[in-house]
Amino acid sequence: MQNYATRSETVQQIIKSLNLTRTLYVSSIIIGEPWSGKRTLVRHLFPDLPTVDGHDQEAVETLLSQTDALIIEHYEKIPNTERLDFEDKHIIAIADYAGNTKILDETFAFIYHMPPLRERPEDILLYADLYQKEAAETLMLDTEITLSKNVLDIRQNLRSLRASIYREVLLQSGDRDALERGLHHYFMGQMPEEADYHRHLGLFEKPLLEAGLHVYGSQLRLAEALGINRNTLRKKIHAWL
Amino acid sequence: MPGSESTDLTFFLDTDNSPFVLFDRHGSIVYLNDAAEILLAYVDKRELFDLALSYAPNDFGTRTTPMELHYRQLNFYAVTVAYQDEEQIGIRLYYRPRTRSNQPVDPSRLKMTNINTILEASIALFAMENSTRFDLLTDADLPEFKLDQNGFSKLLRRTLHLFRASADLHISLTMAVGESIMIDHKRRPIVRLTIQANGRYNDEDRTIKALADEMRIITLLDEHRILFDIPFIQE
Repeated sequence: MQNYATRSETVQQIIKSLNLTRTLYVSSIIIGEPWSGKRTLVRHLFPDLPTVDGHDQEAVETLLSQTDALIIEHYEKIPNTERLDFEDKHIIAIADYAGNTKILDETFAFIYHMPPLRERPEDILLYADLYQKEAAETLMLDTEITLSKNVLDIRQNLRSLRASIYREVLLQSGDRDALERGLHHYFMGQMPEEADYHRHLGLFEKPLLEAGLHVYGSQLRLAEALGINRNTLRKKIHAWL
Repeated sequence: MPGSESTDLTFFLDTDNSPFVLFDRHGSIVYLNDAAEILLAYVDKRELFDLALSYAPNDFGTRTTPMELHYRQLNFYAVTVAYQDEEQIGIRLYYRPRTRSNQPVDPSRLKMTNINTILEASIALFAMENSTRFDLLTDADLPEFKLDQNGFSKLLRRTLHLFRASADLHISLTMAVGESIMIDHKRRPIVRLTIQANGRYNDEDRTIKALADEMRIITLLDEHRILFDIPFIQE
Protein backbone atom coordinates (compact mmCIF):
# COMPACT_ATOMS: atom_id res chain seq x y z
CA MET A 1 0.00 0.00 0.00
CA GLN A 2 1.32 3.44 -0.93
CA ASN A 3 1.73 5.90 1.89
CA TYR A 4 -0.87 8.61 2.33
CA ALA A 5 0.73 11.83 1.14
CA THR A 6 1.42 14.14 4.04
CA ARG A 7 4.32 15.93 5.68
CA SER A 8 2.16 17.27 8.50
CA GLU A 9 3.10 15.99 11.93
CA THR A 10 -0.51 16.22 13.11
CA VAL A 11 -1.80 14.13 10.23
CA GLN A 12 0.96 11.62 10.83
CA GLN A 13 -0.15 11.32 14.46
CA ILE A 14 -3.74 10.73 13.31
CA ILE A 15 -2.50 7.93 11.04
CA LYS A 16 -0.46 6.43 13.87
CA SER A 17 -3.38 6.45 16.28
CA LEU A 18 -5.84 5.05 13.71
CA ASN A 19 -3.40 2.27 12.85
CA LEU A 20 -2.86 1.38 16.50
CA THR A 21 -6.60 1.10 17.12
CA ARG A 22 -7.49 -0.68 13.88
CA THR A 23 -8.10 -4.03 15.61
CA LEU A 24 -9.88 -2.57 18.64
CA TYR A 25 -13.59 -2.19 19.26
CA VAL A 26 -13.47 1.57 19.62
CA SER A 27 -15.38 4.47 18.09
CA SER A 28 -13.36 7.23 16.43
CA ILE A 29 -14.31 10.39 14.59
CA ILE A 30 -12.28 12.67 12.32
CA ILE A 31 -13.56 16.22 12.13
CA GLY A 32 -12.27 18.69 9.58
CA GLU A 33 -13.22 21.22 6.95
CA PRO A 34 -14.58 19.88 3.63
CA TRP A 35 -11.86 18.68 1.26
CA SER A 36 -9.16 18.65 3.94
CA GLY A 37 -8.32 15.05 3.02
CA LYS A 38 -9.98 13.16 5.89
CA ARG A 39 -12.16 10.90 3.74
CA THR A 40 -9.26 9.99 1.45
CA LEU A 41 -7.16 9.24 4.51
CA VAL A 42 -9.76 6.90 6.04
CA ARG A 43 -10.39 5.11 2.75
CA HIS A 44 -6.67 4.74 2.29
CA LEU A 45 -6.18 3.21 5.75
CA PHE A 46 -9.32 1.06 5.71
CA PRO A 47 -9.99 0.16 2.08
CA ASP A 48 -12.02 -2.93 2.99
CA LEU A 49 -14.41 -1.44 5.52
CA PRO A 50 -18.01 -0.91 4.41
CA THR A 51 -19.01 2.74 4.15
CA VAL A 52 -22.34 4.42 4.76
CA ASP A 53 -23.47 8.03 4.43
CA GLY A 54 -24.91 9.89 7.43
CA HIS A 55 -27.62 11.48 5.28
CA ASP A 56 -29.36 8.10 5.32
CA GLN A 57 -30.20 7.19 8.93
CA GLU A 58 -31.86 3.93 7.98
CA ALA A 59 -28.84 2.77 6.01
CA VAL A 60 -26.57 3.60 8.96
CA GLU A 61 -28.75 1.64 11.38
CA THR A 62 -28.99 -1.33 9.00
CA LEU A 63 -25.23 -1.52 8.45
CA LEU A 64 -24.61 -1.14 12.19
CA SER A 65 -26.80 -4.18 12.83
CA GLN A 66 -25.00 -6.21 10.18
CA THR A 67 -21.32 -5.54 10.78
CA ASP A 68 -18.82 -4.93 13.56
CA ALA A 69 -16.68 -2.44 11.69
CA LEU A 70 -17.72 0.40 9.41
CA ILE A 71 -17.04 3.91 8.17
CA ILE A 72 -19.75 6.58 8.50
CA GLU A 73 -19.30 9.56 6.21
CA HIS A 74 -21.05 12.89 6.91
CA TYR A 75 -21.68 11.88 10.50
CA GLU A 76 -22.90 15.42 11.20
CA LYS A 77 -25.87 14.80 8.88
CA ILE A 78 -27.32 11.88 10.87
CA PRO A 79 -30.73 13.10 12.07
CA ASN A 80 -30.92 11.03 15.29
CA THR A 81 -27.52 9.99 16.55
CA GLU A 82 -28.99 8.96 19.90
CA ARG A 83 -30.60 5.97 18.20
CA LEU A 84 -27.21 4.53 17.28
CA ASP A 85 -25.31 2.12 19.48
CA PHE A 86 -21.57 2.10 18.86
CA GLU A 87 -20.61 -0.18 21.73
CA ASP A 88 -18.60 -3.27 20.75
CA LYS A 89 -18.05 -1.90 17.25
CA HIS A 90 -15.12 -0.49 15.37
CA ILE A 91 -16.54 2.77 14.08
CA ILE A 92 -14.76 5.44 12.08
CA ALA A 93 -16.94 8.47 11.57
CA ILE A 94 -16.07 11.45 9.38
CA ALA A 95 -17.61 14.88 9.89
CA ASP A 96 -17.21 18.33 8.33
CA TYR A 97 -17.94 20.03 11.66
CA ALA A 98 -18.18 19.08 15.31
CA GLY A 99 -21.78 19.96 16.19
CA ASN A 100 -22.62 19.16 19.80
CA THR A 101 -19.24 18.56 21.44
CA LYS A 102 -20.80 17.11 24.60
CA ILE A 103 -22.51 14.37 22.60
CA LEU A 104 -19.29 13.72 20.67
CA ASP A 105 -17.41 13.43 23.95
CA GLU A 106 -19.85 10.83 25.20
CA THR A 107 -20.07 8.92 21.92
CA PHE A 108 -16.50 8.67 20.72
CA ALA A 109 -13.37 7.31 22.32
CA PHE A 110 -11.00 8.97 19.86
CA ILE A 111 -11.76 12.45 18.49
CA TYR A 112 -9.35 13.67 15.82
CA HIS A 113 -9.22 17.13 14.28
CA MET A 114 -7.91 17.18 10.72
CA PRO A 115 -6.18 20.54 10.25
CA PRO A 116 -7.22 22.58 7.20
CA LEU A 117 -4.63 23.03 4.46
CA ARG A 118 -3.84 26.62 5.54
CA GLU A 119 -2.46 25.14 8.79
CA ARG A 120 -0.35 22.60 6.89
CA PRO A 121 2.00 24.68 4.68
CA GLU A 122 4.25 21.65 4.21
CA ASP A 123 1.29 19.77 2.67
CA ILE A 124 0.35 22.66 0.33
CA LEU A 125 3.69 22.32 -1.46
CA LEU A 126 3.53 18.54 -1.41
CA TYR A 127 0.06 18.46 -3.00
CA ALA A 128 0.86 21.28 -5.43
CA ASP A 129 3.68 19.14 -6.75
CA LEU A 130 1.50 16.02 -6.92
CA TYR A 131 -1.36 17.81 -8.69
CA GLN A 132 0.99 19.50 -11.13
CA LYS A 133 2.37 16.10 -12.19
CA GLU A 134 -1.14 14.69 -12.33
CA ALA A 135 -2.37 17.58 -14.48
CA ALA A 136 0.57 17.31 -16.86
CA GLU A 137 -0.07 13.58 -17.26
CA THR A 138 -3.85 13.94 -17.64
CA LEU A 139 -3.51 16.73 -20.20
CA MET A 140 -0.60 15.00 -21.93
CA LEU A 141 1.70 17.99 -21.67
CA ASP A 142 5.45 17.99 -22.16
CA THR A 143 6.06 21.69 -21.52
CA GLU A 144 7.82 22.83 -18.36
CA ILE A 145 5.39 24.54 -15.98
CA THR A 146 6.49 26.95 -13.27
CA LEU A 147 3.94 27.38 -10.50
CA SER A 148 3.99 30.54 -8.45
CA LYS A 149 2.75 30.27 -4.84
CA ASN A 150 0.30 33.11 -5.30
CA VAL A 151 -1.77 31.19 -7.84
CA LEU A 152 -2.42 28.34 -5.36
CA ASP A 153 -5.97 28.63 -4.07
CA ILE A 154 -6.52 26.82 -0.74
CA ARG A 155 -9.81 28.47 0.27
CA GLN A 156 -11.53 25.12 -0.27
CA ASN A 157 -8.54 23.07 0.79
CA LEU A 158 -7.45 20.32 -1.61
CA ARG A 159 -10.37 20.88 -3.95
CA SER A 160 -9.58 24.48 -4.83
CA LEU A 161 -5.85 23.76 -4.76
CA ARG A 162 -6.25 21.08 -7.40
CA ALA A 163 -8.54 23.27 -9.54
CA SER A 164 -6.15 26.24 -9.37
CA ILE A 165 -3.22 24.08 -10.46
CA TYR A 166 -5.13 22.56 -13.40
CA ARG A 167 -6.15 26.07 -14.51
CA GLU A 168 -2.61 27.34 -14.24
CA VAL A 169 -1.15 24.35 -16.06
CA LEU A 170 -3.67 24.78 -18.87
CA LEU A 171 -2.94 28.47 -19.12
CA GLN A 172 0.81 28.07 -19.18
CA SER A 173 0.70 25.29 -21.72
CA GLY A 174 -1.63 27.11 -24.13
CA ASP A 175 -0.23 28.14 -27.53
CA ARG A 176 -1.20 31.23 -29.50
CA ASP A 177 -4.28 29.51 -30.97
CA ALA A 178 -5.48 28.38 -27.56
CA LEU A 179 -5.02 31.88 -26.12
CA GLU A 180 -6.92 33.41 -29.02
CA ARG A 181 -9.78 30.95 -28.55
CA GLY A 182 -9.82 31.70 -24.85
CA LEU A 183 -9.96 35.44 -25.49
CA HIS A 184 -12.64 34.90 -28.10
CA HIS A 185 -14.84 33.15 -25.53
CA TYR A 186 -14.13 35.87 -23.03
CA PHE A 187 -15.10 38.70 -25.40
CA MET A 188 -18.24 36.86 -26.45
CA GLY A 189 -19.26 36.79 -22.81
CA GLN A 190 -18.48 40.48 -22.29
CA MET A 191 -20.23 42.00 -25.28
CA PRO A 192 -22.46 43.81 -25.98
CA GLU A 193 -22.45 45.27 -22.39
CA GLU A 194 -18.68 45.74 -22.23
CA ALA A 195 -17.37 46.67 -25.64
CA ASP A 196 -14.97 49.53 -24.85
CA TYR A 197 -11.76 48.99 -26.79
CA HIS A 198 -9.38 50.69 -24.36
CA ARG A 199 -10.79 48.79 -21.43
CA HIS A 200 -10.08 45.43 -23.05
CA LEU A 201 -6.65 46.50 -24.25
CA GLY A 202 -5.32 45.75 -20.76
CA LEU A 203 -5.82 42.05 -21.43
CA PHE A 204 -3.00 42.24 -23.90
CA GLU A 205 -0.84 45.08 -22.61
CA LYS A 206 -0.70 44.28 -18.88
CA PRO A 207 0.77 40.74 -19.17
CA LEU A 208 3.04 41.91 -22.00
CA LEU A 209 4.50 44.71 -19.87
CA GLU A 210 4.85 42.48 -16.79
CA ALA A 211 6.69 39.81 -18.73
CA GLY A 212 8.79 42.43 -20.54
CA LEU A 213 9.90 44.11 -17.35
CA HIS A 214 10.75 40.76 -15.86
CA VAL A 215 12.87 39.81 -18.85
CA TYR A 216 14.51 43.18 -19.68
CA GLY A 217 14.76 44.63 -16.20
CA SER A 218 14.47 48.33 -17.12
CA GLN A 219 11.92 50.48 -18.93
CA LEU A 220 14.61 51.80 -21.23
CA ARG A 221 15.62 48.38 -22.51
CA LEU A 222 12.01 47.25 -22.71
CA ALA A 223 10.99 50.29 -24.77
CA GLU A 224 13.81 49.50 -27.20
CA ALA A 225 12.84 45.84 -27.40
CA LEU A 226 9.17 46.61 -27.97
CA GLY A 227 9.99 49.32 -30.48
CA ILE A 228 7.94 52.02 -28.76
CA ASN A 229 8.79 55.41 -27.28
CA ARG A 230 9.99 55.45 -23.65
CA ASN A 231 7.29 57.99 -22.66
CA THR A 232 4.60 55.88 -24.28
CA LEU A 233 5.84 52.86 -22.32
CA ARG A 234 5.84 54.85 -19.06
CA LYS A 235 2.24 55.94 -19.67
CA LYS A 236 1.17 52.36 -20.32
CA ILE A 237 2.96 51.09 -17.23
CA HIS A 238 1.25 53.82 -15.21
CA ALA A 239 -2.11 52.84 -16.65
CA TRP A 240 -1.92 49.04 -16.19
CA LEU A 241 0.56 48.16 -13.50
CA MET B 1 -18.75 -6.44 84.47
CA PRO B 2 -19.71 -7.81 87.85
CA GLY B 3 -17.98 -11.05 88.67
CA SER B 4 -16.04 -11.28 85.41
CA GLU B 5 -12.33 -11.12 84.91
CA SER B 6 -10.78 -8.42 82.79
CA THR B 7 -11.43 -9.25 79.05
CA ASP B 8 -8.56 -9.15 76.58
CA LEU B 9 -9.85 -6.95 73.75
CA THR B 10 -6.73 -7.24 71.60
CA PHE B 11 -8.29 -9.80 69.24
CA PHE B 12 -11.25 -7.52 68.53
CA LEU B 13 -9.00 -4.54 68.04
CA ASP B 14 -6.61 -6.51 65.82
CA THR B 15 -9.31 -7.57 63.44
CA ASP B 16 -11.25 -4.31 63.36
CA ASN B 17 -11.69 -2.87 59.89
CA SER B 18 -10.65 0.62 60.94
CA PRO B 19 -6.94 1.28 61.26
CA PHE B 20 -5.88 2.02 64.82
CA VAL B 21 -2.39 3.06 65.91
CA LEU B 22 -1.13 3.76 69.44
CA PHE B 23 1.97 5.97 69.71
CA ASP B 24 4.24 6.77 72.63
CA ARG B 25 5.14 10.38 73.39
CA HIS B 26 8.05 10.26 70.89
CA GLY B 27 5.97 9.00 67.98
CA SER B 28 7.13 5.39 68.14
CA ILE B 29 4.44 2.82 67.55
CA VAL B 30 3.37 0.94 70.64
CA TYR B 31 0.58 -0.99 68.96
CA LEU B 32 -1.14 -1.18 65.59
CA ASN B 33 -3.91 -3.43 64.33
CA ASP B 34 -4.04 -5.36 61.03
CA ALA B 35 -5.86 -2.59 59.15
CA ALA B 36 -3.22 -0.10 60.29
CA GLU B 37 -0.47 -2.38 58.97
CA ILE B 38 -2.03 -2.07 55.50
CA LEU B 39 -2.41 1.68 55.93
CA LEU B 40 1.27 2.07 56.82
CA ALA B 41 2.17 0.65 53.43
CA TYR B 42 0.82 3.90 51.99
CA VAL B 43 1.57 6.54 54.61
CA ASP B 44 4.52 7.30 56.82
CA LYS B 45 3.98 6.70 60.55
CA ARG B 46 5.32 10.20 61.26
CA GLU B 47 2.49 11.67 59.20
CA LEU B 48 -0.06 9.71 61.23
CA PHE B 49 1.56 10.80 64.50
CA ASP B 50 1.45 14.46 63.39
CA LEU B 51 -2.19 13.96 62.42
CA ALA B 52 -2.94 12.57 65.88
CA LEU B 53 -1.23 15.53 67.59
CA SER B 54 -3.03 18.03 65.35
CA TYR B 55 -6.48 16.65 66.04
CA ALA B 56 -6.05 15.58 69.67
CA PRO B 57 -8.67 16.86 72.16
CA ASN B 58 -7.66 19.82 74.26
CA ASP B 59 -7.74 17.73 77.41
CA PHE B 60 -7.63 14.02 78.21
CA GLY B 61 -10.37 12.15 76.40
CA THR B 62 -11.39 11.59 72.77
CA ARG B 63 -12.20 13.79 69.85
CA THR B 64 -13.63 12.78 66.48
CA THR B 65 -13.06 15.06 63.52
CA PRO B 66 -14.69 14.60 60.12
CA MET B 67 -12.17 15.06 57.29
CA GLU B 68 -11.38 13.71 53.85
CA LEU B 69 -8.18 11.69 53.86
CA HIS B 70 -6.78 9.81 50.89
CA TYR B 71 -3.79 7.50 50.96
CA ARG B 72 -3.53 5.96 47.52
CA GLN B 73 -6.79 4.01 47.11
CA LEU B 74 -7.62 4.16 50.83
CA ASN B 75 -10.18 6.84 51.58
CA PHE B 76 -11.25 7.97 55.06
CA TYR B 77 -13.93 10.34 56.19
CA ALA B 78 -13.05 10.92 59.88
CA VAL B 79 -10.45 10.33 62.60
CA THR B 80 -10.79 9.82 66.34
CA VAL B 81 -7.84 10.76 68.55
CA ALA B 82 -7.75 9.65 72.20
CA TYR B 83 -5.33 9.94 75.12
CA GLN B 84 -5.66 9.45 78.84
CA ASP B 85 -2.15 10.36 79.97
CA GLU B 86 0.90 12.16 78.65
CA GLU B 87 2.62 8.92 77.59
CA GLN B 88 0.46 7.49 74.83
CA ILE B 89 -1.90 8.73 72.14
CA GLY B 90 -4.12 6.66 69.83
CA ILE B 91 -5.63 7.45 66.43
CA ARG B 92 -8.40 5.60 64.61
CA LEU B 93 -9.34 6.29 60.98
CA TYR B 94 -12.77 5.58 59.52
CA TYR B 95 -12.99 4.10 56.03
CA ARG B 96 -15.32 5.77 53.58
CA PRO B 97 -17.63 3.06 52.26
CA ARG B 98 -16.94 2.39 48.59
CA THR B 99 -19.77 3.21 46.25
CA ARG B 100 -20.14 0.18 44.08
CA SER B 101 -22.16 -0.28 40.97
CA ASN B 102 -24.70 -3.04 41.47
CA GLN B 103 -24.44 -3.87 37.81
CA PRO B 104 -22.09 -6.74 37.15
CA VAL B 105 -19.47 -6.08 34.50
CA ASP B 106 -21.07 -6.76 31.11
CA PRO B 107 -18.93 -9.65 29.80
CA SER B 108 -19.78 -8.91 26.16
CA ARG B 109 -17.95 -5.59 26.42
CA LEU B 110 -14.79 -7.14 27.72
CA LYS B 111 -12.30 -8.02 25.00
CA MET B 112 -8.78 -9.33 25.32
CA THR B 113 -6.70 -6.19 25.02
CA ASN B 114 -3.14 -5.05 24.96
CA ILE B 115 -3.58 -2.05 27.22
CA ASN B 116 -0.28 -0.59 25.99
CA THR B 117 -1.84 -0.18 22.53
CA ILE B 118 -4.71 1.91 23.89
CA LEU B 119 -2.29 3.95 25.97
CA GLU B 120 -0.03 4.60 22.97
CA ALA B 121 -2.96 5.57 20.71
CA SER B 122 -4.36 7.88 23.40
CA ILE B 123 -1.00 9.56 23.85
CA ALA B 124 -0.72 10.04 20.05
CA LEU B 125 -4.14 11.70 20.10
CA PHE B 126 -3.21 13.92 23.05
CA ALA B 127 0.12 14.86 21.46
CA MET B 128 -1.67 16.31 18.43
CA GLU B 129 -2.98 19.25 20.40
CA ASN B 130 -0.47 19.52 23.23
CA SER B 131 3.28 19.97 23.31
CA THR B 132 3.67 17.94 26.47
CA ARG B 133 6.82 15.93 27.14
CA PHE B 134 6.11 12.36 28.18
CA ASP B 135 8.03 10.26 30.64
CA LEU B 136 6.69 6.75 30.10
CA LEU B 137 7.34 3.82 32.36
CA THR B 138 5.27 0.98 31.03
CA ASP B 139 5.58 -2.77 31.29
CA ALA B 140 5.76 -3.81 27.64
CA ASP B 141 5.39 -7.47 28.64
CA LEU B 142 2.10 -6.92 30.41
CA PRO B 143 -0.11 -9.79 29.23
CA GLU B 144 -3.36 -9.07 27.44
CA PHE B 145 -6.44 -8.98 29.65
CA LYS B 146 -10.13 -8.31 29.28
CA LEU B 147 -11.11 -4.68 29.05
CA ASP B 148 -13.98 -2.54 27.80
CA GLN B 149 -11.87 -1.07 24.99
CA ASN B 150 -14.20 1.77 24.04
CA GLY B 151 -15.01 2.72 27.63
CA PHE B 152 -11.38 2.65 28.71
CA SER B 153 -10.28 4.71 25.69
CA LYS B 154 -12.88 7.36 26.54
CA LEU B 155 -11.73 7.36 30.15
CA LEU B 156 -8.12 7.81 29.08
CA ARG B 157 -8.87 10.63 26.63
CA ARG B 158 -10.80 12.59 29.25
CA THR B 159 -8.16 11.92 31.89
CA LEU B 160 -5.26 13.07 29.73
CA HIS B 161 -7.27 16.19 28.84
CA LEU B 162 -7.10 17.21 32.51
CA PHE B 163 -3.32 17.46 32.12
CA ARG B 164 -3.49 19.68 29.02
CA ALA B 165 -1.61 22.53 30.71
CA SER B 166 1.26 20.35 31.90
CA ALA B 167 4.66 20.68 30.31
CA ASP B 168 5.75 17.26 31.57
CA LEU B 169 3.68 14.18 32.15
CA HIS B 170 4.81 11.04 33.94
CA ILE B 171 2.89 7.90 33.09
CA SER B 172 3.46 4.49 34.57
CA LEU B 173 1.65 1.25 33.83
CA THR B 174 2.55 -1.84 35.85
CA MET B 175 1.08 -4.77 37.71
CA ALA B 176 0.52 -3.83 41.36
CA VAL B 177 2.52 -6.59 43.02
CA GLY B 178 0.75 -8.32 45.89
CA GLU B 179 -2.46 -6.30 45.57
CA SER B 180 -5.87 -7.42 44.41
CA ILE B 181 -9.49 -6.36 44.27
CA MET B 182 -12.73 -8.30 44.53
CA ILE B 183 -14.83 -8.25 41.36
CA ASP B 184 -18.01 -10.31 41.24
CA HIS B 185 -16.85 -12.37 44.24
CA LYS B 186 -13.51 -13.18 42.66
CA ARG B 187 -10.14 -11.81 43.69
CA ARG B 188 -8.42 -10.11 40.76
CA PRO B 189 -4.86 -8.83 40.40
CA ILE B 190 -4.48 -5.13 39.68
CA VAL B 191 -2.94 -3.28 36.74
CA ARG B 192 -2.04 0.19 37.97
CA LEU B 193 -1.97 3.18 35.65
CA THR B 194 -0.63 6.40 37.15
CA ILE B 195 -0.62 9.77 35.40
CA GLN B 196 1.22 12.51 37.22
CA ALA B 197 2.24 16.11 36.61
CA ASN B 198 2.89 19.33 38.51
CA GLY B 199 -0.80 20.07 38.54
CA ARG B 200 -3.99 19.40 36.66
CA TYR B 201 -7.52 20.54 35.97
CA ASN B 202 -10.24 18.87 38.00
CA ASP B 203 -13.40 19.97 36.16
CA GLU B 204 -14.09 16.43 34.89
CA ASP B 205 -13.29 14.49 38.06
CA ARG B 206 -16.89 13.42 38.60
CA THR B 207 -17.24 12.13 35.03
CA ILE B 208 -13.94 10.29 35.25
CA LYS B 209 -14.94 8.66 38.53
CA ALA B 210 -18.31 7.62 37.07
CA LEU B 211 -16.74 6.20 33.87
CA ALA B 212 -14.17 4.27 35.91
CA ASP B 213 -16.80 2.95 38.33
CA GLU B 214 -18.78 1.52 35.40
CA MET B 215 -15.72 -0.57 34.52
CA ARG B 216 -14.97 -1.45 38.15
CA ILE B 217 -11.79 0.57 38.00
CA ILE B 218 -10.75 2.09 41.31
CA THR B 219 -9.82 5.73 40.95
CA LEU B 220 -7.62 8.01 42.98
CA LEU B 221 -7.89 11.67 42.06
CA ASP B 222 -5.09 13.69 43.65
CA GLU B 223 -4.09 17.28 43.10
CA HIS B 224 -1.15 16.24 40.92
CA ARG B 225 -1.98 12.69 40.03
CA ILE B 226 -4.68 10.36 38.77
CA LEU B 227 -4.36 6.69 39.52
CA PHE B 228 -6.43 3.82 38.14
CA ASP B 229 -6.44 0.34 39.61
CA ILE B 230 -7.74 -1.80 36.77
CA PRO B 231 -8.95 -5.34 37.46
CA PHE B 232 -6.82 -7.86 35.60
CA ILE B 233 -9.37 -10.30 34.19
CA GLN B 234 -8.25 -12.99 31.79
CA GLU B 235 -10.94 -15.68 31.70
